[in-house]
This record gives sequence, structure tokens and C-alpha cells, in this order.
Amino acid sequence: MVRPIASPIQPPARRSGSLRWAFDWWSQPLALGLAAVAFFVSDSIAQPLPLAERIKLCATCHGEDGNSRVPNIPSLAGQPEFFLVNQLFLFREGVRKLEAMAPLVKDLKDDDLVAIAKHFAALVAKPSEEPIDPALAKRGAALAEPLRCASCHLPNLAGQAQMPRLAKQRIDYLIHAMREFRDNKRSGADTLMSNVMIDVSDADIAALAHYSASR
Amino acid sequence: MSNATLRTWVAASAATAIAITAAHAQVGWSPLDRTNQAKSNQNTGLKPHPTPVTVTPVEKIPVDKLTLPAGFKAEIWSHGHPGGRTMVRGDKGTIFMGTRGPGRVYAVTDRNGKREVKVLMQGLTQPNGLAFRNGSLYVFAIHQVFRYDNIEDKLDNPGPPVDLTKAYNLPDTVHHNWKYVAFGPDGKMYVQVGANCNVCEINPGIHGQIRRYNADGTGMEIVARGVRNTVGFDWHPQTGELWFTDQGRDWAGNDGPQDELNRIPRNQEGAFYGFPYCHANGTPDPDIRRPNPCSGVMMPAALTGPHSAGLGITFYTGNMFPAAYRNVAFIARRGSWNREQKFGYDVVIARTAGARAVIQPFMGGLLDTKANEFHGRPTYLLQMSDGSMLVSDEQNGATYRISYSAPRTAKR
Repeated sequence: MVRPIASPIQPPARRSGSLRWAFDWWSQPLALGLAAVAFFVSDSIAQPLPLAERIKLCATCHGEDGNSRVPNIPSLAGQPEFFLVNQLFLFREGVRKLEAMAPLVKDLKDDDLVAIAKHFAALVAKPSEEPIDPALAKRGAALAEPLRCASCHLPNLAGQAQMPRLAKQRIDYLIHAMREFRDNKRSGADTLMSNVMIDVSDADIAALAHYSASR
Repeated sequence: MSNATLRTWVAASAATAIAITAAHAQVGWSPLDRTNQAKSNQNTGLKPHPTPVTVTPVEKIPVDKLTLPAGFKAEIWSHGHPGGRTMVRGDKGTIFMGTRGPGRVYAVTDRNGKREVKVLMQGLTQPNGLAFRNGSLYVFAIHQVFRYDNIEDKLDNPGPPVDLTKAYNLPDTVHHNWKYVAFGPDGKMYVQVGANCNVCEINPGIHGQIRRYNADGTGMEIVARGVRNTVGFDWHPQTGELWFTDQGRDWAGNDGPQDELNRIPRNQEGAFYGFPYCHANGTPDPDIRRPNPCSGVMMPAALTGPHSAGLGITFYTGNMFPAAYRNVAFIARRGSWNREQKFGYDVVIARTAGARAVIQPFMGGLLDTKANEFHGRPTYLLQMSDGSMLVSDEQNGATYRISYSAPRTAKR
């Protein structure tokens, strides 16, 4: 929903303490630790956390080395800095609406976004523990050609500038993200991806995910 | 089953089979989009340029690079509004700015010659479409439409808007649907609905249009069809006709099809402008073929350059610029991404005469052709009450004020 705000930027009213929010939480397949972090943050942040503490909070779910071991949570290691700044901005401002991220980023200043992005961009991407199906990956490679993934994400799918790294990303997260683009649920982040994913089937998305993760 | 029914059924099945086969055999970009990148012979690494969401420090805003005809001067008018693009002015002088990626609407006020920038709204999806009338700000964010009444009295707390989303009933497809909107001389709200692809068979009943509505969202009429993506229009001050920019498709070569400047002749509302079959001055689409692709297509008044991304267009009606600029259209060209040698990143003028227009340079300096790099991206224009002109630079989150004073001719 649209949120009129006054200047300077104020955090939006959150229903962090409400039962509804809690139920939203438990209905999602997310780690308990993440929920605990979110509750801790939303309830206790009166003053901003030091940056190192903030990064530790990110690491709870996204992995200390930036490589996520939690289903559906993306790896941030080796993502382009520009991309990370963009996404943190979109979460902070509510363009990307995700209950899990909102309380964690709401009081971040632009400089904080850049510092967090720099930290994760400098880490080394590693493959997740998910098994890659070679046949699916092969089919995904063929599908990626006409979809022109390499144009923006580069032939090695390492990403660049505002385009994320897909290589070594978690398979379950890649599937989730591509479905969101296709189903018009991530419309604010990028319109081109919404266009690319139109009518791409779940089976093809799975193949693309295995291919990307294998790069 | 009668013979006639059977024949119909067989024919329908055959057609379905052909359609399915065709869908699997095609080389297009996606099941919808028919882009054939390989055939374009372009560098496949071309990609859209990133737009910062963070503030550009004022000392890095490239105002000193701007070049203008003699007597014109550019200065920074406002800054610190990342991604600020579209501009409308309220009755009390507030400049409202829309954005795409950042999802913000800014309010810029002038206090004793100093500009104050407020984030008025945030968290919207590509709120590029802004219009102002009778004290109300209209905000179009893809399909969402909100009206903020008496907004200039409530800049610190706009409160909840009147939600007109249902009444306007716009498609929620996002690509090429960051809106451009404006009130016409007829008091109607004119609204862009772009093609939701690079090149595809759009549903012509929904996409590739310019529509007009009553302000409350009732009484929709289609005033232009087959329009790929216009993100700027204005009405000629003398003829009252609508002129609009339209962006040509990508991945069909570095040199075209060129972008267009179009006009809707009086009494020809609803005319067809060719997408996806016919581009520019009668160039058939290479990927979507049909017989006589350009028959019945309204040709552009002028071409505005390959991949140049002509956005905002504003007819000049002020008294500050020389008389030769009166009723001349200023067009902001955001600059190319799908072209190996970059092009645009400037403001041009269009001198119109009847159905035609001639394009001439006006503001340059943001493109370094040697290094093939750009320093800024002009997006929209706004004529101020003193006759000066604001140009928004989306890349740097700044606006430039273009003013004129006659050059001194006295000899020293």
C-alpha cells in the first residue's frame, strides 16, 4: 500500500507486535532463528545498531560467509554491490514488501546500505548443499539462451551492477524469485525480469535454477 | 455432429496444433516476446544502465559540462532526489517529482531562493505518472491511481489518498507501464499504457495505447493505438493537437528502428501507430511479420534517433527565451542502452509545421562520444512561471534550470 510520509524519512508504522504478524511468520517455511532475530530487532531497536552488529544479524540467515544454508534465503556473497544497495533500499522503503526484512532495514541510512553491500559483495560465493541435477542443468542452459540471461547477468552468471549474481545461488531461492517475477509479485524491483519470465513454466524455472546454481 | 460443426472443430484443432507447434519452434526471447537477439548482430552484452538510488554529491553533478546555444545558461536548481524524473507544478509552486525504481514521489519547495526536498511518498511501484489539478495531486504507479486533495497544504503529512485504482482499471503488467499522464486542454486525463514486451503480439484492447479518462476514472476512450511506449506527451499550444514521443524497439540493430515523435491529428483520435508490425518511417518488424505491415499506419512527424529514448516533451510558451523558441517542443532524450555507440543524453527541440517536425540540438555535453560514456540522463522538462525551463537528470537526482538573457553585442 502507498505510505505517505513526512520528511525526513520516517519508518512506516509496523504491526510488529500484532498476532497477525506472528501468524504470517509461522505460516512461512522459514528458520526459527530468523523469526527470533526479527522479533528481537523489531521490539528492541530504539537506537541504531552498530554496523558490525547489523552485519551479524544479516549473517544469522544469510550465512556468516554470506552463503546461505537456510532454505529459501538467498546467498549474498559475491553479489554486485550496486545490486545489494538497490535491494536494501527497496526493502527499507517498502517497494519490496517482505515482513522478514522490513524491521531489519527500516532505520538504515544510505551510508549503512552501502557499507552492508560492500561487506557482502567482497565475500566469496560458494555453492549450497542442494544437489544439482545435471540433466536439469543442461536443459536450463538451453532455455537460458533465448531468454538472454547472459546479456545482463553475464555468460558466467556472476551478475554486474544492478543485476544479481545467479551462479552458486541457492536453487530453492532462484525458483522462488523467478516465480515471483513471473507472477507479478516482485514488480517494483525490475520490470524487465517481469517481462522475461512471462509464461515461463514451473518446470522450466526449475531447470533454469539448476543451471544457474551450477555455474 | 453435423458436417459443418465437424469442419469447424477440425479447423479449430488444426489451428491450435499449428499455434502450439509455432510456439515451440520460435526463437523469441520468451513465450510472449519475439525478440531475436542473434539476428540483430548487436553486441549481446548490451544492457540497461543502472540508476543510483543514493544521493549524488552536489559537486559531482555535471552542470558544468552542459552546452547550450548562445545566451542560454544552466544552473543546478534542485538536487538530492535520487531517480527524480517526471515533474509537475502545484498551484502554490511546489514541484512534485515522480520516480521509477526508487518508488518515491518527491516534493520540492522554494524557500527564499533555496530548494527543500521532501520524500512525500515511498514504497510505490514505479510512480512515474503525476498530474496536478484543482489542488489535487494524482499519482499513477503502474495500475494504481491515487488522488491527494489539497496536497500543498499537507506536504508534511499528506494523509490517505482517494483510491481511483478500480475506476481507472489499468493493467497491472509492469514492463513499459510506468505511467506518463497529463491533463489535456479538454480537462481529460491522458494515460499511457505501453506494450508489455520489447516486441510481441500485444493484446490491442489493453496494451500499446494512449487513453483518456474523466478525472475520476470514468469514460475511458482510446486516443492512440499501436504505440510501443510513449513516456511523454504535450499539446501544441496553437493547434491543440497531442504530440507524443514513442520509443522504438530494441535488438533490431544499433541504428534503429529510430524513436518517433508523433502527432494525433484533430478528429483522428484512435489512429494506429504501427506497433508491433511497422516502426519508424515504415520499417517492417524483422521478427513479427504480416502482409502490408505499414498499411493504415500513422507515420511519425519526425524521427528522434536510434535508441535515443525520447521521454519528456514540452512546448515552450514562455517569454524568457527568444521568439524563435515560442511554440517549439523541447524533448529530453534519456540516452541509449541498446546501442554500441551511445546516443542521446541531451535535450533537442522539434520545430513543428503541420504534420511534420524538424529536430535540432539544444542541450548537450552529457555524452562523451570518444570515451563512449555518459554523465547524466535528461528525462523531463517543466516550464517555470518566469519562462525558464527545468530539466530533470534522473541519473544524478538533480534538476537544471535553463534561463536566457540576450548576449551582449557591445564591443570592448
